[in-house]
Amino acid sequence: MKKNISGKLALITLQVLLLPFLTGCWSSHEIEEVSLEIGIALDKGYLSNIDKEFEEQDGGYQKNNNITITFQTVNTKGIGNNSKGGGSSEQHSYLNVSETGDSTFQIVREIPLRRDHPIIGHHLKVIIISEELASNYSIKDLLDSYLRDNDIRPSCLVLISKGRASNALETNVIGEIPSFRLTKMVENGYRSNKILPAMPLAKLTGKIQSESSFLLQNVISADGEVKLTGAAVIKGKTNKVVGFLNEEELEGITWINGKVKGGVVKSSVKGQIIAYEIKSMKSKILPHINSGDITFEIKIETEGRLSENWVNRGKPSDNKFLREIEKSIEAEIKSLMENVVQKMQNDLEVDVAGFGNKLKIKHPKVWKEVKKDDWDVTFSKLPIKYNVEVTVADYGAVSSD
Amino acid sequence: MWKTIASFLPDWLIIIQSLIIFLIPYFIWRFFIYIRERANIATIKQESENSQENTCNFTGNLNSDLKFIKKEIGHNSDVHFREFNIGNTGIHAVIIFIEGLSDKDLIDKYIMKSLMIDFSNENISAFMTEEGFNNIIKQQVLSISDVTNTQNLNDLVMKVLQGSTALYIDGSADVFILGTTKGKTRSIEEPISEALVRGPRVGFTEKLSENTAILRQQGNIKSLSFIKFQVGKRGNKDLVVAYIKDLANPDLIHEIEKRIKKIDIDYLPESGYVEQLIEDNYLSIFPQLQSTERPDRVISALMEGRVAILLDGTPFALIAPVTFSMLLQSPEDYYERWIPSTLIRLLRFLAAFIALLVPALYISFISFQPGLIPTKLAISIVGSREGVPFTVLLEALIMEVSIEILREAGLRLPKPIGPAMGIVGGLIIGEAAVNAGIVSPIMVIVVALTAISSFAIPEYNAGISLRVLRFMAMFCAAIFGLYGVILFCLFLCSHLVKLKSFGIPYASPAVPFNLNDWKDFIIRVPLMMMKRRPKMMKTKNSIRQK
Amino acid sequence: MIKSEEKITTTQAIVIVTNFILATGILTLPRTSVEKVKTPDVWITVILGGLIMIIAAIIMVKLSQQYPGKTFYQYSQEILGIWIGRFLSILIICYFITVSGFQVRSMAEVTNFFLLESTPLWAITMPFMWIGLYLVFGGINTIARMFEIIFPITLFFFILVLFMSFKLFEIDNLRPVLGDGITPVLKGIPATILAYTGPEIMLLLVAFMQQPSKAVKVVIIGTVIPMIFYVFLVVMVIGALSIEGVVVRTWPSIDLIRSFEMSGLIFERYESILLVIWIMQIFASFVISYYAASLGLAQLFRIKFNKIGFILLPIIYIIAMSSNNINELFKLGNMIGNSMWFLFLGLPLFLLLFTKLRGAKS
Repeated sequence: MKKNISGKLALITLQVLLLPFLTGCWSSHEIEEVSLEIGIALDKGYLSNIDKEFEEQDGGYQKNNNITITFQTVNTKGIGNNSKGGGSSEQHSYLNVSETGDSTFQIVREIPLRRDHPIIGHHLKVIIISEELASNYSIKDLLDSYLRDNDIRPSCLVLISKGRASNALETNVIGEIPSFRLTKMVENGYRSNKILPAMPLAKLTGKIQSESSFLLQNVISADGEVKLTGAAVIKGKTNKVVGFLNEEELEGITWINGKVKGGVVKSSVKGQIIAYEIKSMKSKILPHINSGDITFEIKIETEGRLSENWVNRGKPSDNKFLREIEKSIEAEIKSLMENVVQKMQNDLEVDVAGFGNKLKIKHPKVWKEVKKDDWDVTFSKLPIKYNVEVTVADYGAVSSD
Repeated sequence: MWKTIASFLPDWLIIIQSLIIFLIPYFIWRFFIYIRERANIATIKQESENSQENTCNFTGNLNSDLKFIKKEIGHNSDVHFREFNIGNTGIHAVIIFIEGLSDKDLIDKYIMKSLMIDFSNENISAFMTEEGFNNIIKQQVLSISDVTNTQNLNDLVMKVLQGSTALYIDGSADVFILGTTKGKTRSIEEPISEALVRGPRVGFTEKLSENTAILRQQGNIKSLSFIKFQVGKRGNKDLVVAYIKDLANPDLIHEIEKRIKKIDIDYLPESGYVEQLIEDNYLSIFPQLQSTERPDRVISALMEGRVAILLDGTPFALIAPVTFSMLLQSPEDYYERWIPSTLIRLLRFLAAFIALLVPALYISFISFQPGLIPTKLAISIVGSREGVPFTVLLEALIMEVSIEILREAGLRLPKPIGPAMGIVGGLIIGEAAVNAGIVSPIMVIVVALTAISSFAIPEYNAGISLRVLRFMAMFCAAIFGLYGVILFCLFLCSHLVKLKSFGIPYASPAVPFNLNDWKDFIIRVPLMMMKRRPKMMKTKNSIRQK
Repeated sequence: MIKSEEKITTTQAIVIVTNFILATGILTLPRTSVEKVKTPDVWITVILGGLIMIIAAIIMVKLSQQYPGKTFYQYSQEILGIWIGRFLSILIICYFITVSGFQVRSMAEVTNFFLLESTPLWAITMPFMWIGLYLVFGGINTIARMFEIIFPITLFFFILVLFMSFKLFEIDNLRPVLGDGITPVLKGIPATILAYTGPEIMLLLVAFMQQPSKAVKVVIIGTVIPMIFYVFLVVMVIGALSIEGVVVRTWPSIDLIRSFEMSGLIFERYESILLVIWIMQIFASFVISYYAASLGLAQLFRIKFNKIGFILLPIIYIIAMSSNNINELFKLGNMIGNSMWFLFLGLPLFLLLFTKLRGAKS
């Protein structure tokens, strides 16, 4: 009798153990059945022709047409053809699809209504926001769904675009994917000092929450080509774009906050062009408190190489000539910084170069007092001193004129 | 306030789920107890049926005893009875032997000659009493080295059937059993299943006495001890337990002897039967005894304090106890220098890991978490999977099962075709499958990598275990993705740490942590530094070198 | 009572304590501590919290050493009488059950959020608990061996992954040091105690050790290792995300790992490693608290150990599922942290003094 009961129990257990195979797998979605989105562009709302047609046919829903999001996904059909040994197809390797609405998350969930593969955001690399949108809406609201999403990784970069953001996601070169191109461009900071260090979503959160003003790299596009030009200034209190810095001004900023990894300073001696290649630089912002008055001193030390010399009879092997060059470079750097500080203090009334941060670190008690008022406004009135030291360490393979 | 408390009270659904969470493991637990009980009842039943031993003894009367013996084995065509008189005494004697098994030379030249021709008359005087006569025969006449007595019919039959010659002298109930066994065996050659690049090219043969001889010859160890057992009720076989007396832990030896004595089966064709009957946990996937054909492996194991079991009729010797690390080691590790040995060992661990988990990881990444693979790889995988009709699990199963079938088939094919078939089959099938659009090229690479890695494992039964586990891992990955793989690994580790092989935890020397034992686990430190025997074996004397 | 082959070595005891401490706290510690402290000096808070925990643990160890070979469930009845002792044991058992449920639920939540979105919570929890049950059946020895496997893997990969995030690290995010004085630092200590729940296992473990005299060393090393680890974690997370960024993220540690990509190496994305390791760590915590609870019930009511394991399973499951949303889950965590003060700081001290006094009397 006991054996029979145990035998029956055994059978029941076996049947129960087989149950999981009936349920199917809840979360499994084959990789070829989803679209991987790699880039997003947010623009001010406009309706494309197809959208208008759909609306005429009653294809609309309850929304305000505030934001148009363009999603860039990889065109797998094009890649699939290539790998099977076919000839070079004329298809682009990417697909862009746009959708308009007012909630960024709802817009993403509209895509499954229009495409066979729903979009998943695991591989999102870059988010481009147009200046039009960002000056009217706070960045915090625009990016909120992306910060909350579990799919989207906080390593995703954020850029501002001066014109239409979706244009930055186009290219004329077959086989090139614009999102990857942008991502790689931002990493070129070691060759140029006009590129800001990349701002991933993770760092952006901190900046937004701290209500301090900051910069985001600006990208402009024309006819399938893009260029990283300057930066957009976002004011801390409102988190909206209030202005732009052009390339030179951005250069000044990178000199001030010491984030230069490489690049060139062009100047002139005796009216001729010389170019100085930056090998390394150090920047120190020193806040000084004199009986309640705050002044800042910026100390820059840099070492580099003379890379281009158009000066007649300029002998790099002669230290005197080198001194001339150094002085000229120092003056150039100083003027770059002065320019941008002027713009920050007078035109835009923001502190995007990190002066407040340095004050907080060096004199925390003073910072506590000052923070009660608007630091951006306070900063605009403070005097700043500059101190630049350039060393030309060598001059390449040509030692004399 | 009641509302907040009520909101914390569990829902009906949750209570049902908690019941399920209790019932399922409970049923599984009862199921396993049921299986184990059935196995134990069977053995107890067999033990209670005490087989009636034939306790017939001889009487001393040649004619009646001879009839007895002939009734038992006389009908066999290869049993010969040779009656003769001993010398000039007129006493009848019979030798019983089996043609083909006994050494004809020995019987003719030394037994018959010394009893018939060389029997000197001086000894006749002593033949007054039985004891005296038999004694003289044994001590002065029979120039054979291996002589025993018996009075039991069963004993005689068994010994004769093994090749000894029975010498029955009329008037005495004591029968002499003369060791004249000389069966045909093959020559000693290198074992096919365990070929090494460097090492002795000697392997065991099917004859137990030769194997023990090889062990003594190879090791030349003074305290090497052999203990013999008879196993098998109908097909009696000799089984020898070998150990080094002043090294092995006596508890271990007792345990092994106890388990061997418990074996109650009528015939043991191969040492695999012994392995399955004495291991700790027969429901586990991992082997708890190691089988080997190489005497150098056996001797090294003995020197570490382990015990070897040799069975007559098979060249495969068993080594107990076994730990997980031994499954991934090869004797070559010790014969080469430590740097290449260490690197190759690391490679083997990597290969074991790959062979176990790569298909499962592939399934989990493609089906569940595409966000965890690099973007470029993801894009190329999507491109290559565009036309494939099956889900990843099915694709993986198709390819894996095909490779397993190919492997089995390769074992059965004759030598010239076998290896070629394996390579050609693999390439062609893979290529054809990709072109037909059944599988994606990446799947072929994954499966090929897995197959190659599983070949890198030196132990055959470890390789089999990993193959089975790989399929389980794939199923777990198909249900839960990466989480399933994690759970599977946790389950596997739990099982490994629970398993014990003859009292030694299976997962040694990884755990319990012992720095000394790690010298020989993943890396192999220079020989100069391996001064002690492994601590986990609890040997009597732990110093290898000073 | 406890067979000699069931004893655990000193190393194993250290590993058990460390594994129990490193659990959910890894993911939430940066946020919960910065919420209270509001300055970048959180690493000092973490160190201080660890020191307090060490003191409490030493008290517990000294108490257990007074009664060699007996677990808390057994000697509590000796100190204060059967009924009060039983009541205290039941309190401790409830604590362990709650900790198990909390760990399981937080693991299920994180897995559901990051790995398996559409899978219902019960499907994630059930296999996890079943494997835990399987391990617990083996007794403390098996558990110790399993932890010895989990521990080095975890430590190695955690440190590796943390250091890979060095790219994002900005030292300025951690300055000024002590800019606001020491007061905020002290205010944050209660928040870190939840992350350090773990040494209370010593109340049981000392009975199983081969060398109980080394128990003090065990608990000090066992708490210092997680402390160093937490300091690293907090420093790296705040250095990369800055305190304002940390406060608004629910799971800051995972976000740290997700915020960088190293293309060209095998995985571009390393959060898979972090999640794998974290799930293994939670498993370890779950198993040891499950074992502690079942041991308690078995010793208290003299039932066989194996049967108790089954009965506890639905109870822990109900407690795990009792939180309706993630806020309540965190509240449960806070409750556990707060109960630590009474149960494991006050009570052992009281019992120890009581024992000493009674000892002095007789």
